[in-house]
Amino acid sequence: MSTEAATEPVVPGDEHGHDHDAHAGGHHGPKWLAHHFDTPIQQFDTAKLGMWVFLAQELLFFSGLFVAYGVYRNWYPEMFKAAAHQLNKEMGATNTVVLLFSSLTAALAVRSAQVGNRKLTGRLILTTIGCACMFLVIKFFEYRHKFEAGLLPGRFYHPHVEHLAAGSPPLPDNTGTFFSIYFMMTGVHGVHVLVGIGVLIWIWIRNNRGDFSKEYFTPVDIVALYWHLVDLVWIYLFPLLYLI
Amino acid sequence: MSSQTDVPHDPQHADDGAVHAHISSVPFYVAVFVGLLCLTIATVGQSYVDLGKANLIFVILIATMKASLVVTFFMHLKWDNKFNALIFLSTIFFIGVFFAYTLNDTDKRGELDPDQNVHVWEKTGEQAPGGMPKAEPHAPAAAGGEHAPAPGGEHGGSTPVPQH
Repeated sequence: MSTEAATEPVVPGDEHGHDHDAHAGGHHGPKWLAHHFDTPIQQFDTAKLGMWVFLAQELLFFSGLFVAYGVYRNWYPEMFKAAAHQLNKEMGATNTVVLLFSSLTAALAVRSAQVGNRKLTGRLILTTIGCACMFLVIKFFEYRHKFEAGLLPGRFYHPHVEHLAAGSPPLPDNTGTFFSIYFMMTGVHGVHVLVGIGVLIWIWIRNNRGDFSKEYFTPVDIVALYWHLVDLVWIYLFPLLYLI
Repeated sequence: MSSQTDVPHDPQHADDGAVHAHISSVPFYVAVFVGLLCLTIATVGQSYVDLGKANLIFVILIATMKASLVVTFFMHLKWDNKFNALIFLSTIFFIGVFFAYTLNDTDKRGELDPDQNVHVWEKTGEQAPGGMPKAEPHAPAAAGGEHAPAPGGEHGGSTPVPQH
């Protein structure tokens, strides 16, 4: 695959298992080792570094929403308290457990990829995808209730008394602000869950294809990191929105 | 990158250039998950007890404990290249800066500019929510400004959406 390889006689379809003795001349590593890396560990570290920089960007990106939350909660603490009563604590808690469990299965998928258990890796990735879908289904029912009750962002906010949670405190007129923040934060998070499902499917297909081994499991690791980040954001979203 | 072949990553495996990532046991991962569940139960349980201002501190504390478990063990930061941990921690630091500066501003606007109608809603003269709720009942005297809220200006419940 590399141009330097042309300097040496190359056996077609060669599978040199070891690359560490090949410093002289062109080096042929395993087929998953990109030609611009010297060693698997270099490739692995680079991928991880890149992913952590991306995750840093994701956190900074989400922090804008969290700061908006902080500013408005600081301005209208009573409104936030009243509005949070309209969110379904049980559904939120269920979704938290679903996401935490999916994080466990994602971590275990990386582990089974590390030990080279391809079948188990596949099953764990599928479980993670299943949990992600379950999360979105629960979220859908929550959103549907908010739409029915007219608990919508900003100027679309028009609460229907008959749909509101029984025994909850009266909602101030500016409660639409809370639901702007609620829909923005959970919506952007939901988009991340959708993307997560996409990359998990991609990694599941590659796992089935036999791309991964004890020596090479980087993509599983990287996708799991992304999935843990989605969980991480929800860990803060749940208590801040539902448990005021 | 620093990971040249002459830098051993793991003393046991010298420098064969292969990936020797730490592999945790299944029971260990399950234990972390159980810890996360317990903290979730704790935070939901706490929400039924009103601790006043301490509510938010509790919520953030428990969420941060959960996040630490996920980052340290599920995301392997404990065994990972320390540079990745540095990236993560500096991100947290800058989020802190973002919060501190923004809240320091928005929290003090009403207090700093009482003469520029900051805490009075421009169109109706009603007291705008959010400015300085603590000084609400006796705003005119305390603030000493000539832009006292118009009589009949209500606070709390029925104020219009603010125009910050």
